[in-house]
Amino acid sequence: MRQRLARRLLSALLIVWAVTTVSFVISHVLPSDPARLVAGPQARPADVARIRTQLGLDRPIVIQYAHYLARLAHVGPTVADGAPVDPSHASCATVGPLHVDLGTSYQQRRPVVAILADRLPRTVFLGLAALVVQLALGVGAGVLAAAKRGSMLDHTAVGLSILGVSTPTFLLGVGLQFLLAHKLRLLPLDGFGRTFGEHAASIVLPALTLGIFGAAYYTRLVRDEMLDVLHDDHVRTARAKGLPERTVLTRHVLRNALLPLVTVVGMDLGALVGGAVVAEHLFRWPGVGALSVTAILDRDSPLIMGVVLVTSTAVVLANMLVDGVYALVDPRLRQ
Amino acid sequence: MQSGRGRPRPRARFLAHRGARVGVALVAAVVLFALVGPMLASHSPLASDFVRGIGDDQMPVGPSRHFLLGADRLFRDELARLAEGARLSLFIALSSTAVATTVGGVVGVLSGYYAGTWVDALLMRIVDVGLAFPFLLLVLAIGAALDETSAWTILAVLGLTGWLGTARVVRAKTMQVKALDFVAASRALGQSTWAILLRHIVPNVAGPLLVLATMSVAQMIVAESVLSYLGVGIAPPTPTWGHMLFEGQDYYASAPWLLLAPGTAIVVAVLGFNLVGEGLRDALDPRAL
Repeated sequence: MRQRLARRLLSALLIVWAVTTVSFVISHVLPSDPARLVAGPQARPADVARIRTQLGLDRPIVIQYAHYLARLAHVGPTVADGAPVDPSHASCATVGPLHVDLGTSYQQRRPVVAILADRLPRTVFLGLAALVVQLALGVGAGVLAAAKRGSMLDHTAVGLSILGVSTPTFLLGVGLQFLLAHKLRLLPLDGFGRTFGEHAASIVLPALTLGIFGAAYYTRLVRDEMLDVLHDDHVRTARAKGLPERTVLTRHVLRNALLPLVTVVGMDLGALVGGAVVAEHLFRWPGVGALSVTAILDRDSPLIMGVVLVTSTAVVLANMLVDGVYALVDPRLRQ
Repeated sequence: MQSGRGRPRPRARFLAHRGARVGVALVAAVVLFALVGPMLASHSPLASDFVRGIGDDQMPVGPSRHFLLGADRLFRDELARLAEGARLSLFIALSSTAVATTVGGVVGVLSGYYAGTWVDALLMRIVDVGLAFPFLLLVLAIGAALDETSAWTILAVLGLTGWLGTARVVRAKTMQVKALDFVAASRALGQSTWAILLRHIVPNVAGPLLVLATMSVAQMIVAESVLSYLGVGIAPPTPTWGHMLFEGQDYYASAPWLLLAPGTAIVVAVLGFNLVGEGLRDALDPRAL
């Protein structure tokens, strides 16, 4: 078990490393001049050249890459509260003597770790809120549809589900925004707000958008999976024992039908934590997803790299989590 | 694959599938619109009409005799743009699906057939990395390298990223088929690996691959419109559904047709291909009810 975990961790690390490396190459061969971005449009050529040297952009890409990796995780002075920070470690996040340095954003002129530290919690909250919506709606509708298979309710659920998965999130989002924020004025149009109450109101629209889209998919999955399990022998046995239909459905059918959902939920979790790009962009929710669009459009390579690191780590960790949960729920996989 | 006695064949089952019939109708409607639409329009998709396109309130005119679907914010014919967008969307979605299905199919079959060997390990690690890779970055990079994002750029990006999921599914299916007795039998009869792959494995994974490909067309239409919507798609003024939607969303109160037209087009096309895909799956799946 421990050996398997170690191997999984190693391969996860390798994947993140590979993604980072490819992104580094891509974001550094983009035809843009970061030195000019930093220096500003009014700068003289001499200043641009000086900044280019300062940023190390005049060195070969291999050296830059080695430098990036070396800074990514390194050992540095432990920073005491309130003590002045060594300028060479100004863009580091520290845990004791361990430093993590993702560089400084060209556009925002702040350490990338600090920007990500602001953004990540918001994206995680949005992701979790969306997941709650899609699990509640999706599993609920799926179970009802399967329990009343062939009925009007079932047909409606299946129809809405396929319509839902065929509606792109941005379309659904604009629709909900129009209805709930513009027409009914129940919720803010977009943004993040300043107080906790405003945050809570602002998260509803993006979470609903993501959640309804996901729920459409879950409904169908849970329904089809339940109908599959309904034909199993153990269900017939349960019925033959005289158990009430309700108990059969919840105890014997749903539990088995939820197993494939674990994989899907895990992948969704990874994707959502990595940033729901469209929903965050549409509702101006200042999370990692919206940040990735800005970073890419600005050609802000340190920021792009930071976002890529977070996104790929989220996906890989979610995959590992799925494997772990599988082993927990399905004893057959525990060897 | 043979169908059991007394059971309708896949083709009959597909034709009897209510969802599939609706899907075929929707897809046919979109294709027809792409073919005929430009002829219905009174303007070229890129031309601004500052005389008839502007209403009394200085806003774009709504649906009218000259502009069947109204005018957009630059007073261009929404219908002409929608039809041009349909051609572009279908072209990109179909071609990128062809690329993704071919690559995914080949990788999946090879990986599944050689499961457990270094070939499989290497291919699946590439898939792992690809799935963890943010594809927006890839679009931008290719677009930047080519100086401008064209339909070909988007096609390449969608094709080269879209095969990852297909490869995984085909790999699993190949492993199932490979474990069946008739494969062992043909090996015992001395058939070469190529013959086994082409005669036994490929025909048996072709069904699932066709279903995946159909649904992939739907996903590609969405992906292309998302990219346009985020501003990294095909460069304006070329009309794409996603970009039209992006331009239309600021006018949802004053000129709702600018949102409804591209929105409806996307949903109809995506729903159509999804329904056809489902119909195919149910028709080809021996377990289907």
